[in-house]
Amino acid sequence: MSDPTQPPGAAPEQAGLDLQEETERLQAELEEARPPHAGPISQIAAAVVALAVGVFGAVGSYALGLGRLTQPGPGLWPFAISVVIIVLSAVLVVTGRGLQDTERFSRSSLLTAAGLVTLVGLAALLPVIGFEIPSLLLMFIWLRWLGKESWRSSIVISIGAVAAFYVLFVLLLQIPLPRLI
Amino acid sequence: MPTSRTAPRRILLGVVGAAAAVALTACGGVKTTSSGGGDGEYPTGNIEFSVGASAGGSTDLITRALAQGIGKELGVSTPVLNKPGANGALNAKELQSAKPDGYKIAVQNASLFTITPLTVSPAEATKIDSFDVITGISRDDYVMATSAQSGYKSIDDLKKAGKTIRYGTTGVGTGAQLASALTFKTAGIESTAVPFDGGAPNLTALLGNQVDVSTMQIGEAIENIKGGKLVPLAVFSKERIPFLPDVKTAKEQGYDVQVTQYRFLTAPKGTPENVKAKLLDAAKKTFATTEYKKFNEENSLTPMEVSPQEVLTSLQNDSATFKAQLDKYGINLAG
Amino acid sequence: MDISPILDGFGVVLEPTNLLYCLIGVIIGMLIGVLPGLGPGATIAILLPITYGIGPVSAIIMLAGIFYGAQYGGTITSVLLRLPGEASSVVTVFDGFALAKQGKAGTALGIAAIGSFIGGTVSIIGLTLVAPVVAGFALDFGPPEYAALGILGVLLISSIGNGNKLKAIIAACVGLLIATVGRDTFTGAERFTFGSLNLAEGIDFIPIAMGLFGLSEILYNLEERHNQVHAPAKVGNVWPSRKDLGQASGAIGRGSLIGFVLGVLPGGGAVLSSLAAYALEKRRAKQPERFGKGAVEGVAAPETANNAAATSSFIPLLTLGIPANATMALMFGALLIQGIQPGPQLVTEHPDVFWGVINSMYIGNILLLIMSIPMVGVFVRILRVRPAIMAPITVLITLLGAYTVRNQVYDIFLVIAFGVLGYLMKKFGFEPGPLVLAFVLGSMIESSARQGLLIFGGDPTGFVTRPISGTIFALILAVAAWPLIRKALPRKTSVERVEEKIK
Repeated sequence: MSDPTQPPGAAPEQAGLDLQEETERLQAELEEARPPHAGPISQIAAAVVALAVGVFGAVGSYALGLGRLTQPGPGLWPFAISVVIIVLSAVLVVTGRGLQDTERFSRSSLLTAAGLVTLVGLAALLPVIGFEIPSLLLMFIWLRWLGKESWRSSIVISIGAVAAFYVLFVLLLQIPLPRLI
Repeated sequence: MPTSRTAPRRILLGVVGAAAAVALTACGGVKTTSSGGGDGEYPTGNIEFSVGASAGGSTDLITRALAQGIGKELGVSTPVLNKPGANGALNAKELQSAKPDGYKIAVQNASLFTITPLTVSPAEATKIDSFDVITGISRDDYVMATSAQSGYKSIDDLKKAGKTIRYGTTGVGTGAQLASALTFKTAGIESTAVPFDGGAPNLTALLGNQVDVSTMQIGEAIENIKGGKLVPLAVFSKERIPFLPDVKTAKEQGYDVQVTQYRFLTAPKGTPENVKAKLLDAAKKTFATTEYKKFNEENSLTPMEVSPQEVLTSLQNDSATFKAQLDKYGINLAG
Repeated sequence: MDISPILDGFGVVLEPTNLLYCLIGVIIGMLIGVLPGLGPGATIAILLPITYGIGPVSAIIMLAGIFYGAQYGGTITSVLLRLPGEASSVVTVFDGFALAKQGKAGTALGIAAIGSFIGGTVSIIGLTLVAPVVAGFALDFGPPEYAALGILGVLLISSIGNGNKLKAIIAACVGLLIATVGRDTFTGAERFTFGSLNLAEGIDFIPIAMGLFGLSEILYNLEERHNQVHAPAKVGNVWPSRKDLGQASGAIGRGSLIGFVLGVLPGGGAVLSSLAAYALEKRRAKQPERFGKGAVEGVAAPETANNAAATSSFIPLLTLGIPANATMALMFGALLIQGIQPGPQLVTEHPDVFWGVINSMYIGNILLLIMSIPMVGVFVRILRVRPAIMAPITVLITLLGAYTVRNQVYDIFLVIAFGVLGYLMKKFGFEPGPLVLAFVLGSMIESSARQGLLIFGGDPTGFVTRPISGTIFALILAVAAWPLIRKALPRKTSVERVEEKIK
């Protein structure tokens, strides 16, 4: 079935079919490491959120004024995109039920939520008390509780890292970060 | 081992407590790079220059050149902070609410006060009343140019061409757009504006003959003009510009259009007189250095080192003139 | 052709600082290619603000080094752990891991390194010759052509990605929609700004890239998903035998060409070209059944091709100012931070940047070859660095870095918001890549299309009657219609496979 006289450009396209299947099989195997997929409800929910984004965009851009195709108003382009989003999301709502590419939220998702809280905390505290203390706390929380490192290495690594940041950002790169020292 | 489990916890509590204490005592003492505001004679600490544009643009380069000179004169550090957004309005809003102690100042450009208010909502328009002007700095003029193949040599040639002229601008609500729109209206030339996102794409489109003419800042065009790829048609200053002495002004060609961009040093409203005097003095000494003069030369900037009063007058005049001209010809910049 | 700027470019690269940044770049690239979790996109996004402090040439040399260095590094995990570090190394897993199981992991890595070096070098030579030519006629690319190329790019990246195509296109459209936030450059109307001055200029690319690529990855990995730790396979002799080299040489040659050609296409050439190169070798092979069971060509071809493509994807960026993939979009952002507008004027206005970057890749590839063959053992050991320690350090670099770009806390919140969006997208099976590239191309597509309309005096047929843009639009139609065409064709190969199984 291989024909060496064939122009090289044509071959990959034909072979693309079985190759794609092989790639999909490999991907499916890699997926085994992922948590169980979340089922049809999450698929529909995701599609509905996308749909809502589309509707929001369409309404918002319609209000901006569409103009004409030959003389587009500010809303024409976002309106067109929004319509595409709406149509595709609607298709996804109908056909996406059987897809298995969503992940269930589990107890370990709480770790992500906790991590998120520290991020927001850092952003909120940065302008008030400078970067050192919030960074130290963030490092420590991530190492000790999210990463399950030992007390000692958590303390050592977080202090070391923040000191390194100080040297890198403030002393070497002279970046004007809000800071105490 | 229960002790080793609780001990670190106690240490941690201690650390958090100490941190909180430090934070409280240092309340308001957070610094970025400026740490001015001491009791001694101004300046006791760093003077922070904020720029309402991204690094690399004219406003940024001018700020950096000036900040370096002023820092040297006053013997303090003068960090430059870029806070781009909304043509400088974002930076202006922040500056006007800063403490008027001379430790936060900024170079601002005229178009933010003269042209931008014509295109945005009143809430977003920035007013010069919110600032103390310290000194004028320099002028950055506009030139209208065409590609060498087009054969046009003056504005009248465009008129004779008898077709709709498509002109590139550096964006909506810029001096480049205002100058071109006014010129074509007063000359009675049919025209369509094609706004590009800044100077570089505008120049590229002109070089590739995608548009017939383009208006841009001199510094952006001068190399291609000298290289013969672009032909300048007009400048929009009051008098001819030393960098392009052979190019006629629009006024010389019979069209009363004067649009220039200029920049000046500002501080928040209510800055003490002695602080302003110190800054003005340092700025003047900087203007006099050969290094700074060479900087102006390289960037095709014309010095406009005038008094605050002159800056204010020309801002007011420009605003009034532009508004009147736009109304008269029924031009809407927001197209 | 005038070669003095090229030689000057070598002068630029050989300056000690630039050599150092090149070395730092390729080392970081290899490291993150090896470390599970962060990809080159995420790393470059995170490091973007730091490049602020160093010169434009050094910055872009370092980032480029990270990019192609990661292509090398990704191979190591593909072969040893069966975990492709990068989408473009997915096919390497088939034969690479099979070789590793036969105790020939060293051979696989050695062949991959040599192939990557040759592919990269061939591609740079091509880049050196082709880029100035493209830049020369790039002035013929007006707004209509840019609009067409942008649309093609978005379409290609959504159809080439790993996941569900429908979701990829939706993500891309959301990216296009986000790009419209801010003041409309044509009318001055404020779109989706909700009266906020911060949004008036639109949303900056950097927080989006840092959030969607960098932070989301870390948040996602916090869920401890790689529970089953593979023990890395043993690495034997990394010097491939003469027989292996002979067997791979054809694959390396063809892979270089395929990679170079496909890499130029907007929309993710590295992935496509590694697939195409693998498929071609399998087609040409006298015994195709060897593939998947440890064929040397099966490692050589994709690894050569993805490196060649990674290099040639710089062509559209450096000559037209169009990022060909999400990582190039980051390079685009890095140049903009430095006040350099990538585009047709780059080669004349900033020859030091243009040639400096290109020539740094010769050096970088040599550095990589030197490092990868003798130092494979070191990188294997790095596989054991605990992600728990890397994660908070990366998080801090991300957040503080985001602040430093504009000195505004608002940007940190923006990064966090996009980080959460990216995390949720991953959870629900949407790829963030198409969104980011579409965001970058979005404003270019819109404004070019509208500029085109103004130039044509409101006549949309101009887009298809101009030769270059007309050709690109024809290509767009072909790409869009391809899935339908493919469905219409008889699915010969799968039938064959069924027959094989029956036998």
